[in-house]
Amino acid sequence: MTTTAPTPATAVRSSDTGDGLAWAVRDALAMAGRNLRRVARQPEQIVFTLVSPIMFVLLFRYVFGGAISGLQGLNYVNYLIPGIAVQTVLFSAGVTGFALADDLQKGFIYRLRSLPMARSAVFAGRVIADTISNAAGLAILILTGFAVGFRPASVIGLLLASLLLLSFALAVSLGYALIGMTVSSAEAVNAATFPIVFPATFASSAFVPVMTMPSWLQGFATHQPVSVVINAARSLILGDTATAEQRELLLGATGTSSLVIQALAWTIGIGIVFGVLCTRKYRNLT
Amino acid sequence: MTRAAIITEDLVKTFGGSVRALDGVSLRVPQGSVLGLLGPNGAGKTTVVNVMTTLLQPDSGRAEVAGIDVLKDPAAVRRSIGLAGQFAAVDDILTGAENLTLVGRLNHLSTGQARKRTHELLERFELVEAGGRPAKTYSGGMRRRLDLAAALVARPAVLFLDEPTTGLDPRSRIDLWKVIEDLVAEGTTLLLTTQYLEEADRLADRIAVVDSGRVIAEGTSSELKGRLGGSTIEIRLADDTEARHAGDRLSGIGDGNVTVDGTVVHVPATHGTTTLTEVVRRLDDENITARGLQLREPSLDDVFLALTGTSIADDAQPDPAQDRTDDDTTGQP
Repeated sequence: MTTTAPTPATAVRSSDTGDGLAWAVRDALAMAGRNLRRVARQPEQIVFTLVSPIMFVLLFRYVFGGAISGLQGLNYVNYLIPGIAVQTVLFSAGVTGFALADDLQKGFIYRLRSLPMARSAVFAGRVIADTISNAAGLAILILTGFAVGFRPASVIGLLLASLLLLSFALAVSLGYALIGMTVSSAEAVNAATFPIVFPATFASSAFVPVMTMPSWLQGFATHQPVSVVINAARSLILGDTATAEQRELLLGATGTSSLVIQALAWTIGIGIVFGVLCTRKYRNLT
Repeated sequence: MTRAAIITEDLVKTFGGSVRALDGVSLRVPQGSVLGLLGPNGAGKTTVVNVMTTLLQPDSGRAEVAGIDVLKDPAAVRRSIGLAGQFAAVDDILTGAENLTLVGRLNHLSTGQARKRTHELLERFELVEAGGRPAKTYSGGMRRRLDLAAALVARPAVLFLDEPTTGLDPRSRIDLWKVIEDLVAEGTTLLLTTQYLEEADRLADRIAVVDSGRVIAEGTSSELKGRLGGSTIEIRLADDTEARHAGDRLSGIGDGNVTVDGTVVHVPATHGTTTLTEVVRRLDDENITARGLQLREPSLDDVFLALTGTSIADDAQPDPAQDRTDDDTTGQP
């Protein structure tokens, strides 16, 4: 006869019956702590994440800046910083995918999946940690901007723009996460995403006004999501220092609210699509 | 009847529609005992472990761990088990202590409990000094010990070790065996997969031989060996001609067939040392000088060879460079 053992009372856990959501939050924070600790222990990665946007600011401000036309009298630094900010957060979002691929490859996620932790914590911990490091990178970029003459119209506008950029990065990072779980290594994530992220960043309004591009490129460069988010952030940052004409020609709309709504729509849409795909992928991992 | 801590009934799992990784696996592990799943790469050992540790859903069949249905309440199963996989699943950048504390917290221990448990485990696995160093500085044996410690953080009732010593050097392997033996002595139920006959022989109470997703034999080590009909006397001679000659002279001893394989004559040791004495006397009478003579127990390798027609040792040689051995989950050899 088959008799089975009752659940042995050997576990030393403080509680297994607590509120599921509370545990999910605790687990996510534990994972986020682990992820941030890894970032702090690998300074060479921080240097790369932070140095490259600073170099871009200096390069465009002082080397290419003088040759960039079509600004309608707008100060180029004020035009440039929101663009580089998007580029920075987009490239940093890749960390989410690299790190997940690495954890999978090294078998760490295998261990996590056998633990009684909330399954969402793997993603939530990732996203929390990556958003925190992304915010730090963004802050350093903005400070660098200040040093070279960047002057946002208002602090509120700058903060709202930063929030928008971080949310967009979060949504995109779920796309990276999906690729990170599909391919086998961090290098492969890079190879798979670079051909998308690079043109999306440079064929945009990030560095130069779209109207200076060939007409066949203008349509894409104006309406693709990266440009929409840049223009919304730019609009929030420029505030009332930009004239209606400058807004119309450089941002493609006169009002901030319509740009922000479009940017949020893209952000939420991308976030939901990749969020659902990620959840499904994670559930089916072996 | 002893209580079963692990039960599986007719587990079937196919990958990609055609590869039958599990083809009706039924197992039963009494509480406090050790079952060794022995088989070559791709036999389905890891797939069995993955199903029982809730990482993988079977296509059909039933599994129960610590009295909990794996399919109906996977979350409760995860609270009762510890798993150490084929390769050490530790975070290289974190220190040994941080690894254990993190696993403790994710097991929902309080911060204080997690720290206390970390300290206990570091001490037990002789990692106290290394506890403050990043795991990437650890040797292969230390990583495995840390990985095993992580599996034990929540004092699981049932422990799964998937090829715990694959890729380790012989010395570290023996150290880890001692650690596992201590655990078992404390009453932990253990399911262990291995490609090493020696490991199954030493650690497991019962052995299930797995091949192509099926359990092809099950029993204690001596039961399995007993299937081959006991010991053999091996007599090694100078050359093939002499061996054939000796084979002729020795025929009729024991009740099985005397066989000659190259320079070696095999005589079934039907009556143990009595048969041995008879062999020695006959050789002496015939003035045949043997180069070597031994009474040999059948090994698990002989069992495996007899069951599957292939030797497990072919692809199971210890290889320290090979840390992540196989992709057992695909069911491919």
